[in-house]
Amino acid sequence: MEHIITTQNLSFEYHAEEQTRHLVLKDINLQFEKGQFIGIIGHNGSGKSTLAKHFNALLLPTEGKVHVKGMDTQDTNHLWDIRQTAGLVFQNPDNQIVATIVEEDVAFGPENLGIPPDEIRERVEYALKAVGMWEYKDYPPHMLSGGQKQRVAIAGIIAMKPECIILDEPTAMLDPIGRKEVISTIKKLNKEDGITVILITHFMEEVVDADRVIVMDNGKVVLDGTPKEVFKEVALLKKIGLSVPQVTELAYQLKREGFDVPLDILTVEEMVEFLCR
Amino acid sequence: MFRNITIGQYIPGDSVVHKLDPRIKIIITFIFIVAIFFINKLSGYIFAVLYLYLVIAISKTPFSYILKGLRPVIIILLLTVSLNMFFTPGGTVLYTLGPLKVTTSGLRLAVFMGLRLIFLIIGTSLLTLTTSPISLTDGIEHILKPFSRIGVPAHELAMMMTIALRFIPTLIEETEKIMKAQMARGADFESGNIVKRAKGLVPLLVPLFISAFRRADELAVAMESRCYRGGQNRTRMKQLKIQPRDYEALAVTLIMVLLIVWNRVWTW
Repeated sequence: MEHIITTQNLSFEYHAEEQTRHLVLKDINLQFEKGQFIGIIGHNGSGKSTLAKHFNALLLPTEGKVHVKGMDTQDTNHLWDIRQTAGLVFQNPDNQIVATIVEEDVAFGPENLGIPPDEIRERVEYALKAVGMWEYKDYPPHMLSGGQKQRVAIAGIIAMKPECIILDEPTAMLDPIGRKEVISTIKKLNKEDGITVILITHFMEEVVDADRVIVMDNGKVVLDGTPKEVFKEVALLKKIGLSVPQVTELAYQLKREGFDVPLDILTVEEMVEFLCR
Repeated sequence: MFRNITIGQYIPGDSVVHKLDPRIKIIITFIFIVAIFFINKLSGYIFAVLYLYLVIAISKTPFSYILKGLRPVIIILLLTVSLNMFFTPGGTVLYTLGPLKVTTSGLRLAVFMGLRLIFLIIGTSLLTLTTSPISLTDGIEHILKPFSRIGVPAHELAMMMTIALRFIPTLIEETEKIMKAQMARGADFESGNIVKRAKGLVPLLVPLFISAFRRADELAVAMESRCYRGGQNRTRMKQLKIQPRDYEALAVTLIMVLLIVWNRVWTW
């Protein structure tokens, strides 16, 4: 398997004041495989957003290395290639839309890359159709709902033809409908267009059908595996202040009451299947 | 309370005037202004009036909007007219009012300055009434681009205008939200004298500024991660192309200019 992003002994600290040093990331070693859907979870301050910013060279490691498609993020010659390869979508859709019209905003990235106008037009159409926002191409962004704005922001990244999209809590500010829209868009991009997705979130339900889930706490990776492997560790997850998917919680409670229920049940369908057996 | 704010004063339409290339429109407006100041006989204004009438008729701009554009400058207009009227020496005295004298040349100059200002304002507001702020920004960027070699920040100016336009509705929404939140906490924005009301705005402005700075910071990071690196090597999706109608508009304008020149040089 080809690795799209790798980190070697990545540590990051920042200086809030003269003396105090905050070690935000501690010795992180991760390899992300191409084409996978990866979820990163952790509560506030666990360092997950800081980690995301290392993936496209917005932050550089204090120690260790980050490679994107073999390019060292510390090498400034590759800065724009790295940012084009690994696109970053942020939490607040309002603060990442630049232009006053949807299609012009989607064109912003390709324009920065110096792509010829005709090709930009094609890419904008492709990107807006991929997120299901083509019919809104002439709208001003402030007329759209939160979920629609976030999809436009994702289209803005897609138009740069990235191989990997990192989404830093893209649904945190959205209502349940908007959240659903965004998550199904991301899943579609991963399955149909083969784009590697790294989804940072604190909604466990969003990562139950990911290929891999990474749990972070206090700047370290504490769990790393398939969703079933990770969510089995109910006690550990609870200890670090995370919840598990509702159905897993139910299985956990049943088991504690003495029923013989496996803990790797993540969805309602699986639970129904198990109970009816 | 802020819902019906319109940015600029653009009235959407699909007339030929609306569709003209923004660069051409800006250049035409510039030519028009120069022409206005070139006129030195009252008869010369006939051509300017005809020209404006043509533009207004084709663009179907409601005349009331044009008058609205004149309203804020009435004071300046009156001031200019009266200054010129009372303080221009020469000519025969027509009327004396204490130390003030109205002379023929003063009256003449006053009338001309008044007309020039009125035409200037009508001409420029026709530009903003028929051109959306976005295409106006595009036009300005393209016109200034040749001057970027001598240090005119054409791209940066256009980017600033675009971001300002983009965030005006967002910040208005935010203002409303903060106002409601502060009113729920007992803030009073409506009663009291001016000083008290101005003081009352502090709990509104402080959070608004803090949030605007935070937004600016996040936007900068988002732009950077979308490979923004200033105007260098940047292409644009929307290309401005000069159409036949742009040449036609330019030709009509030049005819007006020639008529004005003819009027100044050869007629009495």
